[in-house]
Amino acid sequence: MDGLIYSILGDPFVQMWQMPDFFIQVIWEGFVSGILYALIALGFVLIFKASGIFNFAQGIMVVFSGLTLVGLHALGVPAFVALLMTIVVMYGLAFGIERLVLRNLVNQPDIILFMATIGLTNILIGGGQWIFGSETKSMITTELLIPTGSSVWEPGGGLVIFQHIDIAAAVIAALLIVSLALFFSKTKVGRALRAVADDHQASLSVGISLNQIWVITWFAAGIVALVAGIMWGARSDVSFSLQIIALKALPVLVLGGFTSVPGAIVGGLIIGVGEKLFEIYWGPLLGSGVEGWFAYVIALVFLLFRPQGLFGEKIIERV
Amino acid sequence: MKDTKESFVTEDGRHIGSVIMEMRNITLRFGGVVAITNASFDIREGEIRAIIGPNGAGKSSMLNVINGFYHPQEGEIWFRGKKRPSLRPYEIAEQGIARTFQNIALFKGMTTVENVMTGRQLMLKKNFLWQLLRIGPALDEEVVHRRRCEEIIDFLEIQAIRNSPVGSLPYGLQKRVELARALAMEPKLLLLDEPMAGMNVEEKEDMSRFILDVNDQYGTTIALIEHDMSVVMDLADRVVVLDYGKMLADGTPDEVQKNQAVIDAYLGVEH
Amino acid sequence: MFYREAGQFKTSYAEYLQALPLREDKVGIAIWLLLAVFYVPFFGLPGLEYTFAMNAIMIPVLIFTITALGLNILVGYTGQISLGTGAFMGVGAYACYKLTTYFPDVNIILIILASGFVSAAVGALFGLPSLRIKGFYLVVATLAAQFFLEWCFIRVEWLYNYNPSGAIEVPQREVFGIVVTGAAASPATRYLVVLGILIFLTIIAGNLVRGRIGRSWMMIRDMDIAAELIGVRPLRAKLSAFAVSSYYCGVSGALMVFLWLGAAEVESFDVNHSFLYLFMVIFGGLGSITGSYMGAAFIWTFPILLKELGKRVFDIDSIIMENVSLVAIGMLIVFILIKEPHGLARLWQLGKQKLRIWPFAH
Repeated sequence: MDGLIYSILGDPFVQMWQMPDFFIQVIWEGFVSGILYALIALGFVLIFKASGIFNFAQGIMVVFSGLTLVGLHALGVPAFVALLMTIVVMYGLAFGIERLVLRNLVNQPDIILFMATIGLTNILIGGGQWIFGSETKSMITTELLIPTGSSVWEPGGGLVIFQHIDIAAAVIAALLIVSLALFFSKTKVGRALRAVADDHQASLSVGISLNQIWVITWFAAGIVALVAGIMWGARSDVSFSLQIIALKALPVLVLGGFTSVPGAIVGGLIIGVGEKLFEIYWGPLLGSGVEGWFAYVIALVFLLFRPQGLFGEKIIERV
Repeated sequence: MKDTKESFVTEDGRHIGSVIMEMRNITLRFGGVVAITNASFDIREGEIRAIIGPNGAGKSSMLNVINGFYHPQEGEIWFRGKKRPSLRPYEIAEQGIARTFQNIALFKGMTTVENVMTGRQLMLKKNFLWQLLRIGPALDEEVVHRRRCEEIIDFLEIQAIRNSPVGSLPYGLQKRVELARALAMEPKLLLLDEPMAGMNVEEKEDMSRFILDVNDQYGTTIALIEHDMSVVMDLADRVVVLDYGKMLADGTPDEVQKNQAVIDAYLGVEH
Repeated sequence: MFYREAGQFKTSYAEYLQALPLREDKVGIAIWLLLAVFYVPFFGLPGLEYTFAMNAIMIPVLIFTITALGLNILVGYTGQISLGTGAFMGVGAYACYKLTTYFPDVNIILIILASGFVSAAVGALFGLPSLRIKGFYLVVATLAAQFFLEWCFIRVEWLYNYNPSGAIEVPQREVFGIVVTGAAASPATRYLVVLGILIFLTIIAGNLVRGRIGRSWMMIRDMDIAAELIGVRPLRAKLSAFAVSSYYCGVSGALMVFLWLGAAEVESFDVNHSFLYLFMVIFGGLGSITGSYMGAAFIWTFPILLKELGKRVFDIDSIIMENVSLVAIGMLIVFILIKEPHGLARLWQLGKQKLRIWPFAH
């Protein structure tokens, strides 16, 4: 019994202390995957804020955008032209979804819209594989001028490796978040978006076009998905098996709250770092693979104590 | 108004029983906002008790306190001679308190008769095994209560819509179905939250008639919130007036109408 | 003309409260039953090869109908979304496997029905958060169940008797001298066992949803606050829905492995299957027993028929057809949500309504 307590509460921390360079490495790896979770969650939050729709397809949009980019390049389109074309595709997707799906489901209960996005997930998976093939592809990292080398840091004789791709991912994610924040607070469209998020009917009455706003939000979510898709694809590969990982944006949302952008970021980092640490230091106790469920179980426990998320507002029920 | 716990007979010959529910010094806060301040009044068996007041006076909050949806920070609630501890809403339903809602709260996925049947939930006693077999006692029970629900549906004159899904019904009928559902619970105390809001004159007259009939035929004690003063004056035996969460007056409709504080705050000075 | 209630008078409420009050409906169900019991086991489906019809279509469709019934109780009747169906089926399957290991002589049908209780217990456990968590947050809670249980199916070697392949393999079992499970069991036997259990569970589901318990589920679904104010205990209502739903899923999981697949690994219970079952329920009709039948049959057979069509008529590669059917099902889901959010069952009902007043339009 004592041995068990030690291996849970003692040994992992001793290991962290004894090998600080490895500890830093683990934290860094967790941090980078946390940023990617945060990016997916950010797409969710954008759409949820603007339309109250829980867009289950956001994770698939990440894979779909990456696949489109790689697929277009494989057809002989130059990398940056392919990137532009992918952006156009994402706009077309947002436009099509608004025109064909959302517009026809106005005023339906949330659960119906949610299920429609699950249907959308199927269309995107099937469509993506149909057009570009279902084999795993690698991201066109160098063609997009993303640095691929690595830097080594040796604190006190230790060894920590920073992949340049990871550094680039962190920087690009930060830039994206800042520019989105500027877009929301400084532009006219951004203000309209926030108005819609607050109250649909009131914003309609002051002359904001809901349909247009929805297209813009879904497009913005598509761009966020594209960035996440590129960075993710550069770190591993582009394939639809990524959708399982993309689902991890859900526990991130639970932690951060469905409507909070800072919540999505903080939640993403907590989940990313937390699950890496747990997998490396406590995982061996249970047999490996705990990364698969750790995020969900943490979110579940968290929910029991704070159902509205870290940054969400407390819900007062009325009759 | 006599200040006694005994039963008595009013001038127009209505029998008013002893006190069934008593609110003592109720104070309810939401964070920093005080919804009800130190309100005390009682409800007597068999009477129609009205709670009136301007918007935001704390009327709905008061009903929510009575049926346990909100728990007041201060004060005591006495029900049928016992001090009531803090209970969950379903426990209060078990004690025989039913209500309707200001914004209709029907079960939209069900038909009228199914909605009314939900009022009988607490009276259906057969356990899970009987339920899944649905033979013998479980079916008998279902039939008995179904018959009772059909009687209530007849009583409220909504036979024509008994198998319609409630979501598609017009507003006035939905209000009536909600009343039917509350009646199906055979409550000791029936709370009606603005039963006539948004109705036209004809519908109001119908609803008033039903409320009087319910009170008359089943002897149900009724506490209601209403905005239409003429309706309140016609229906109620006694009236409580709230304003900004404070009690302004308590008495018969005549007494309340003559009360200067009420006239100033709510009825307004005559033009 | 053929479908009329005129002349059929109910003289008691008991008669009125029957599952199928109309004579025409009774006759219709009887015909389906006769076909299912006396035609299909001997001749399969018209136009299809017998073993294909049984093994690829009839047996899985019936098993998934049980799943859909269970999931519909949770999602359609109680309004609690679950993406953990696959894992709950897995619990039933592994429970059944362990029970046959420990009790090799007990009637396998009883063991299958008993293994549902294990699943019900696990389902109720993971349903506990639903008391505090609502809506989409609950989706995350059920995903926690899904991924945690999947991990258990791999890591807890005891569950598959330390089999190096990590799979559970179905032993041969006989009931009254007839081989029911294992490679030697005939498709007709397996089909009839599944059919029997399905009919039994359908009747129970029908009884539950029409009575007190079903009403308490629907009250929670439609307006949980009002339900509580009328006297429904949310704990009891929600947990009973989770337990009953998981019981159905567990039994169908056990049937899936023991009477259909013959062996299974964790892949048979993964999250993609959970989506598939959710599609069955949405497409067939939320909150409808008939809908569970229609949804399971459609969502399962549609891709198979599409694939066959592609192969035989247009000579298209089956991988492409798989993607085509993914897209088609996604589109159909969106389409039916737009046109009729209550699924095929509602369309069927509207059709019958039209027939009832035929030849008039209204």
